[in-house]
Amino acid sequence: MKSRKSRGLPSKMPDNTAFKQQQLPAWRPHLTPRTVLSGFFTTGAFFLGMGILLILSAKSIKEIEITYTDICSNCSKLRENASNFYKECNCSIHFIIPEKMPGNVYMYYKLHNFYQNYHQYIMSRNNRQLLGEDITNVENCAPFQRTSNGIPIVPCGAIANSMFNDTILLSYYPNSSTRINVPLLSSDITWWTDKHVKFQNPKSSNLSSAFAGTAKPPYWRKPIYQLDQENPENNGFLNSDFIVWMRAAALPTFKKLYRRIHRIQQFADGLPAGNYSFDIAYNFPVTVFKGEKGIVLSTVTWSGGKNFFLGIAYTVTGAMTWLAAFSMMAVHLKLKKKQESLQH
Amino acid sequence: MFCGEKKLLETERRVKANDREFNEKFQYAFRHKSDNQVNNRLSEVLINGRLQSEKWMNVKAGDIIKLENNQFVAADLLLLSSSEPHGLCYIETAELDGETNLKVRHALPVTSELGADISSLAKFDGIVACEPPNNKLDKFTGDLSWKDNKYPLNNEKIILRGCVLRNTSWCFGMVIFAGPDTKLMQNSGKTTFKRTSIDRLMNTLVLWIFGFLVCMGVILAIGNSIWKHQVGDYFRAFLFQDEVGKNPIFSGFLTFWSYIIILNTVVPISLYVSVEVIRLGHSHFINWDRKMYYAKKETLAEARTTTLNEELGQIEYIFSDKTGTLTQNIMTFNKCSINGRTYGEVYDDLGRKTEINEKTKPVDFSFNPQADSKFQFYDHSLIESIKLGDPKVYEFFRLLALCHTVMPEENNEGKLIYQVQSPDEGALVTAARNFGFIFKSRTPETITVEEMGKIVTYQLLAFLDFNNIRKRMSVIVRNPEGQIKLYCKGADTILFEKLHSSNEELMTVTSDHLSEFGGEGLRTLAIAYRNLNEEYFKEWFKLLEEANRVFDKRDERVAAAYEEIERDMMLLGATAIEDKLQDGVIETITNLSLANIKIWVLTGDKQETAMNIGYSCNMLTDDMNEVFILSGHTAAEVWEELKKAKEILFGRSTGFTNGYAFCEKLQELKLGSTIEETVTGDYALIINGHSLGYALEANLQNEFLEIACICKTVICCRVTPLQKAQVVELVKKHRKAVTLAIGDGANDISMIKSAHIGVGISGQEGMQAVLASDYSFAQFRYLQRLLLVHGRWSYFRMCKFLCYFFYKNFAFTLVHFWFGFFCGFSAQTVYDQWFITLFNIVYTSLPVLAMGIFDQDVNEQNSMDYPNLYGPGQLNLLFNKRKFFICIAHGVYTSFALFFIPYGAFYNVAGEDGKHIADYQSFAVTIATSLVIVVSVQIALDTSYWTVINHVFIWGSIAVYFSILFTMHSDGIFDIFPNQFPFVGNARHSLSQKNIWLVILLTTVVSVMPVITFRFLKVVLYPTLSDQVRQLQKAQDKARPLRGHKRQPRRTSSRRSGYAFAHQEGYGELITSGKNMRVKNLHPTSGLGKTMYNSTSWIENLCKKTTDTVNSFSLDRTVKL
Repeated sequence: MKSRKSRGLPSKMPDNTAFKQQQLPAWRPHLTPRTVLSGFFTTGAFFLGMGILLILSAKSIKEIEITYTDICSNCSKLRENASNFYKECNCSIHFIIPEKMPGNVYMYYKLHNFYQNYHQYIMSRNNRQLLGEDITNVENCAPFQRTSNGIPIVPCGAIANSMFNDTILLSYYPNSSTRINVPLLSSDITWWTDKHVKFQNPKSSNLSSAFAGTAKPPYWRKPIYQLDQENPENNGFLNSDFIVWMRAAALPTFKKLYRRIHRIQQFADGLPAGNYSFDIAYNFPVTVFKGEKGIVLSTVTWSGGKNFFLGIAYTVTGAMTWLAAFSMMAVHLKLKKKQESLQH
Repeated sequence: MFCGEKKLLETERRVKANDREFNEKFQYAFRHKSDNQVNNRLSEVLINGRLQSEKWMNVKAGDIIKLENNQFVAADLLLLSSSEPHGLCYIETAELDGETNLKVRHALPVTSELGADISSLAKFDGIVACEPPNNKLDKFTGDLSWKDNKYPLNNEKIILRGCVLRNTSWCFGMVIFAGPDTKLMQNSGKTTFKRTSIDRLMNTLVLWIFGFLVCMGVILAIGNSIWKHQVGDYFRAFLFQDEVGKNPIFSGFLTFWSYIIILNTVVPISLYVSVEVIRLGHSHFINWDRKMYYAKKETLAEARTTTLNEELGQIEYIFSDKTGTLTQNIMTFNKCSINGRTYGEVYDDLGRKTEINEKTKPVDFSFNPQADSKFQFYDHSLIESIKLGDPKVYEFFRLLALCHTVMPEENNEGKLIYQVQSPDEGALVTAARNFGFIFKSRTPETITVEEMGKIVTYQLLAFLDFNNIRKRMSVIVRNPEGQIKLYCKGADTILFEKLHSSNEELMTVTSDHLSEFGGEGLRTLAIAYRNLNEEYFKEWFKLLEEANRVFDKRDERVAAAYEEIERDMMLLGATAIEDKLQDGVIETITNLSLANIKIWVLTGDKQETAMNIGYSCNMLTDDMNEVFILSGHTAAEVWEELKKAKEILFGRSTGFTNGYAFCEKLQELKLGSTIEETVTGDYALIINGHSLGYALEANLQNEFLEIACICKTVICCRVTPLQKAQVVELVKKHRKAVTLAIGDGANDISMIKSAHIGVGISGQEGMQAVLASDYSFAQFRYLQRLLLVHGRWSYFRMCKFLCYFFYKNFAFTLVHFWFGFFCGFSAQTVYDQWFITLFNIVYTSLPVLAMGIFDQDVNEQNSMDYPNLYGPGQLNLLFNKRKFFICIAHGVYTSFALFFIPYGAFYNVAGEDGKHIADYQSFAVTIATSLVIVVSVQIALDTSYWTVINHVFIWGSIAVYFSILFTMHSDGIFDIFPNQFPFVGNARHSLSQKNIWLVILLTTVVSVMPVITFRFLKVVLYPTLSDQVRQLQKAQDKARPLRGHKRQPRRTSSRRSGYAFAHQEGYGELITSGKNMRVKNLHPTSGLGKTMYNSTSWIENLCKKTTDTVNSFSLDRTVKL
């Protein structure tokens, strides 16, 4: 070392830094009985509490679910045959709401055994087209890109093509002779970003001219610009039903928000108990793929819709955590005693 | 191929000097880059009649090269001429065989006449015909044809590559074998590509994972076919207009490949890269370690290979060289016993024996201007005895100054230096010099000594040379007073039988002292003298001359004559020389043994020397039940010895001696049972090179290995480099153990190459071993740190890393598998494509890398203090197939929780604002976020050493995940690439739902809680040593007590002879014939004369005169002889 220094060379000795010498100051966590047990008891308590809370709130939700595949079996049958495509079929279902559904009530349609998460299906869309910038862009939309004449389909793709197109009306019977249509809102049933960012109509004064030169999807009865002719805000790509449908579900059984109950007049506090009926224009065929469809009326709480899974899972996990904590404590105390007796 | 054919054809080599065309067929190309350092060394080569500096790689067979003192020999040479008289030259062969004494080589008289005359050397055109290249270091046969004469050549005329020229200012030699043909290179074995056992395991596991992947693909493909058949066909109306994919089997086939692609993340491609990065980091930590830096030689520890680090934590066998590795190659006069009194111990004020350390004050030799400043002695009582003029002490040192083969010389500064052929003698003569008995000069007939300032010239009457049978040497001198004395030094076992009966009492005392010295591993020599009267000597001398004259059985008769006079001697005492171990060798060996690492010493040196080192390193102790020595010269003898050893081993431990039980035992052993545990007691095995040759043969090797592995210590002496490699290979092959070889010299290259890990001692002149090694450092003691700290950490970290990595990839990928059952087996991924791309590279790579590089379970101090911590690595406990399956199971469990908890929570659910949240994108984001959090919590649990870097990486990874998530789900990026980033607004929406967070929290707890429970119970119920030390460490950190852990190596006295003497026969003759004395040295103005000239004493003039006259006489005699 000296010789190098005397020759004016830096010493070859490695730097004495904590990093190079592996001496970095460090926290060495250790699974001590105290931390583990206290952690487990706290977690367990939290989970148990949360679980019970979740179960209670799920229980407080009022929900009515009506599967109408079988109830409207004649319509179902009709739809099994593609040649009846343009034939209308209506179906009316009477039901009772036994208890008042307070607060916001939401109406969902529910599909069972419908694989919106099927790979080829979920990929079959074009976001650029839906942005309204380039509506003839039908890339990725196979197999629903163009009609046999080569006209681009708008909106293209399998998702759009298979859009749920039943219309459901809800009527309330305060008494046997009176029938009141429950006011339903189709606004604000989509995500804000979907409505304002992801979906845009082509910039044009007239929607139908904007979509000129395009074809409607083969399974659709009317073109995209006629989805809601009364409300231009809800027409074209901006149609809420369309947007909701386009947000593909994760699992083959799913429900999608269809309408919100407009809280006015006697529905200001929710849906009162009593007789109701759904009037359904049955368009969407489900029996062909052994699927089912239904309507759900539901209230929500702080944790969302009615789902006991989370509550139960939380309770069970909390219980397991406590069980683990107790058994660990038992083992720990036993060993401690043993050690003490050994020391004596 | 061509090269190989040529080699096969070469049955005899014919090399012509100075004729490159003639020798063209021996040219070769250097291929190995690693040899560059050596290949680029310079050597002076005679080309076209001029000396030119050439790189070693350009030295070719037939070239004549000039070597200078202390230079390394570049190729195997035929010695032509040298600076010394009679064409002698001295070489040190420590690099080749580990022996420390110098060897003499002499040139043929015809060639030695060439001298340093360049022109005649250039004209030299002799042809050497000799054996083809081979690996026998001690044999050479061939002949030189020159000027119509044939001269036989033997090993005495050959200087091998790897030797160092000593005590010879220059010499010329003709290259016979160069480059890879040299005997050294032929001995160095093949370079093999080294891989660690973890590497091999990893490759197997990756193959298994591939198999697993295919299985999953098949399951999902079958699922797809069934689904298609039962559900999909009906559903197809919504999907397809065309008929492609109608056939369920074809669809299944496509699905199989889609899933292979999707699930391929389970085969961690980034694993290999990460492993290399971690290893590189560990290598740098080795390079940067100040505690493995040797300041004296400015040598860093160096990891020359970066791919073997974790194997350092799994070593079971260490094969160590002795010379230069365990020892410093320095002999020091350490202790002595004179007339029944020991000198050399140091006592403190209270009269207790103390260890000599840096604070101990050495004896001040300033009174003696000619003292060697390097010599240190700590016992002041000896110098007092000298000052008091104790005649026995005087006689003792006189003997040391007279009875030896040292040649005095003078260096450029006019200082007296000794040319020694054996370092032991150097130590003894230097000791005498410092204590005032300065050996000044010698001629064939006289020895001049300065005794306490007085020059005395003794007449050398006879020199009774040393050999390995006699184990002693004597001189007979006449002092100026005319008395004739015989001075003898040699092995105590031999000498004690030759003593006069009056010595009984002194003998017992001295032998006690010798035992004590021997127990400390010191090399002892007993010392005795005998007064002879004139007549008796004359009579005996006649006898000797007669014996010398006859040709029949001359050696025996000479020996008998020696025997006759070396009797009735008076014991003077004994010397103890320390073959200085490197610093910290004993502690290192003790610690490594405590870590259950077996250390075998493989040395080319003699058995005695090797055993002495064994004792001084505490590898051999007197508590040992038995030390087996195998030295048979035939296969049968070796077999017999092995059998005997076995009987002792198994007979004692089990009580079964009948053949049946014995066979059973053998079988058990072959089945791999741990018989070692049934054998109690410590045993050691010492085996000689020639016996080892037989023991390594196929029929004996199993028995040999079996016994050797039971023994605590194994020492192989007199082994050739190739045998070293064979021993390593044997253990490697049959024990399936991880081996490490450490050495410094060229003779260790073969074993360094063949062991799993080769370590070279660097900082010395020869670079050969270092170049072949995987790790290098300057001192043997660093091995302890390399293995117990770096190796252990590397292994620990690597195992943790692998476990986590496999876990992580399974947790990540298998979610797709579960999802397959709910998406019609359509190969739909659960996550966003971007997440899949970034997960392994960005979100989770750094925390695990930080753990793999920085993690420490216990700190370095405790790693060294508790060598048992090393055990898990040897037993392969931290990562093996079982651990792998546990990790996989953990991963599968986590993926299960990751998928099914969100599944349950998303099934038929609505958001808190009533909007649906069970869409695919929210599902993907929820699972991805849970996954990132779960694996981050898991790495946080796994990390036991949280440095700043770990904090930054772990928290940073989570932060980076969220920021990338929000960026990719932002409006801006969607506007630019709407098809590439379809998740717009998703993060914002999903992550503002309480529901989603509850899912994430639940997933995390469910995934992690069982792991914590399991770990806690494991620590409480079955704590490993590491856990205990960690706990202790925690207490230590709180209390911070002063550690007094340093173990005192225990030494006990032994009942064996500590005799060892590195000496070669033949020097006596060289001295008495004057062959090795230079004529010019005897000239009054140079060499020895100068020292005498400076003195004023009258006796010196006389001395000079006698030197001159005697020398001229001696020269005559030489000619006559």
